[in-house]
Amino acid sequence: MLDTQAATAGAVRAGTARLPGPARLLGTQVGYQIRLLLFSGRAVAVGIGLPVILMLASKGSAKDSHPNVAGWAVFGLTITAWTSYGVRLVAAREAGVLQRWRATPLPRWCYFVGAIAATTVVAVLAGAVTIGAALAFYGPHFDDGNAVDLTVKGSLAVLVALVLAAFAWAATATAVTSLIPTVEAAFPVLILSYFPLVIISGVMFSVTEPHWLSTFATYLPAQPLIDAVTRAVEPAPGAPFLDARDLGVLACWAAGGLLAAIALFRWQPHRPRQRRAARKELSRPRGSRGSA
Amino acid sequence: MSAITAERLTKRYGQFAAVDDVSFEVPRGQLLAVLGPNGAGKTTTLEMLEGFTRPSSGTVRVLGADPHRAPRAWRARIGLVLQSTALDGEFTVADTLRLFARHYPAPRRVREVLDLVDLKDDARTRVGVLSGGQRRRVDIAIAIVGRPEVLFLDEPTTGLDPEARRHTWAAVGNLTAAGATVLLTTHYIDEADHLADRIIVLSGGRVTADTTPRELRARGGSPVIRYQLPAGIAADDMPARLSQWLNGDDRTLIVRSQDLTGPLRELAEWAEKNRLGLAGLEVGPPSLEDAYLAVIGEPVTARAGDHA
Repeated sequence: MLDTQAATAGAVRAGTARLPGPARLLGTQVGYQIRLLLFSGRAVAVGIGLPVILMLASKGSAKDSHPNVAGWAVFGLTITAWTSYGVRLVAAREAGVLQRWRATPLPRWCYFVGAIAATTVVAVLAGAVTIGAALAFYGPHFDDGNAVDLTVKGSLAVLVALVLAAFAWAATATAVTSLIPTVEAAFPVLILSYFPLVIISGVMFSVTEPHWLSTFATYLPAQPLIDAVTRAVEPAPGAPFLDARDLGVLACWAAGGLLAAIALFRWQPHRPRQRRAARKELSRPRGSRGSA
Repeated sequence: MSAITAERLTKRYGQFAAVDDVSFEVPRGQLLAVLGPNGAGKTTTLEMLEGFTRPSSGTVRVLGADPHRAPRAWRARIGLVLQSTALDGEFTVADTLRLFARHYPAPRRVREVLDLVDLKDDARTRVGVLSGGQRRRVDIAIAIVGRPEVLFLDEPTTGLDPEARRHTWAAVGNLTAAGATVLLTTHYIDEADHLADRIIVLSGGRVTADTTPRELRARGGSPVIRYQLPAGIAADDMPARLSQWLNGDDRTLIVRSQDLTGPLRELAEWAEKNRLGLAGLEVGPPSLEDAYLAVIGEPVTARAGDHA
């Protein structure tokens, strides 16, 4: 055994032992990050449980309305990929967790691509659970004329939109959190940037006036997703499930968010700024040998 | 070839020189302790050696490479315990080590690492419920799981209780015994004394001493007698030859001299005549702490009674 250990240590010193490949490292990171997100009961409750409850409560016993499936699915996805993930990322950076990772041979890109990919998975899960709950409660068996339906093609279309949107939100959150200096600031900053955006995008109710605002919302990463989910669960005859413009907007946010994350991502906690005076010239203490 | 070489290393933040013209080498297998007060430049020096901070001037080589430009393969040969890091509390100790081990080409077995840091019994404990000392040892475990040739430890025992510090020292001792080169920063003189082959003292961003613990202690001056006066005994009760060494504030007699036989005899005779026990009498070599304080230019406390 000692021989094996010595040989291994020798191989490392000689540089012949090979580093794990990027694919393996990325897979490890994604698995680790997914476990972290799912370990957080609060994130699961807010991202997966709350949208379902709100959807059921807002539909209630109203006979003449569709359940707001798309809105609440998007709410679950976005609050997971933006707020829950963003707060956790700032907390991890300020506590020194990211710096701990930086001290390993993990490539820089691998950490945050792993984090974004894992968040995408969990956020898509949050959106899918809401849609699944809508099908369970208001599926084709629902007899008030406002039933929700989802075909196989519709499912694939909605999956594409969910993945693209979740990636866009998580990548943008990664970039934005680099600018947030403290954990205390993380929640207010992320919530204050989140709610106005999702409200004007029509997550909770439709916003049609003023016109410029509803037009502006079509360029944000929430409304295109709401439209995509709505087309899938409330299909109009002859209309495509996916709209190229919506996908284009989401793809732009995903690419832009990723590029910004690459440019802005920081491992180290923010340090409070402090002015320090230049040191006075030191006299070397007696008996000192100085530097070797 | 030295494991670590720093030549005229300087780091400036505006006009402020956090590290100023620092040079030293660390041969392979040596444990070097870097001592210094807060703000002396210890952590900044370490960050430059680790490749996290770019020097303003000077050169650094660790295992023959410039840390700031070194590839991943170099990082796999280095282990770090940073001054303040955190771990995800939801994972168990063993899971955490397995996770980090996957990033290295030839990691140590988790069981072996747990043995080295004395955490075998806590392998299945969640990191979040460990004590501060145990978490610090998990930190060390992560640093060594990749079988590093060079280990940087930035104040690894700050804030730990004495027992936890002893455990950590044992873990570091195990690593040096296995041939690792270790650079350790610390505030604790006894830690450097216990662990280090060599000590560098940084003060004001500069090296003010580069020596062995024994040599540093020798700079502390003369051997010393310390004796705390018993209750009810005043300075006036002592003969003048003894009371001149009395520190009036804490009623402690402190005598420093190359030859202590005279003062020791006088003290014993006076104690016998007054039927006083000499409980608490200390006679010993100069302390490393005194030597360290002298090197960094701080006044050493309780010097009123020093004997020339």
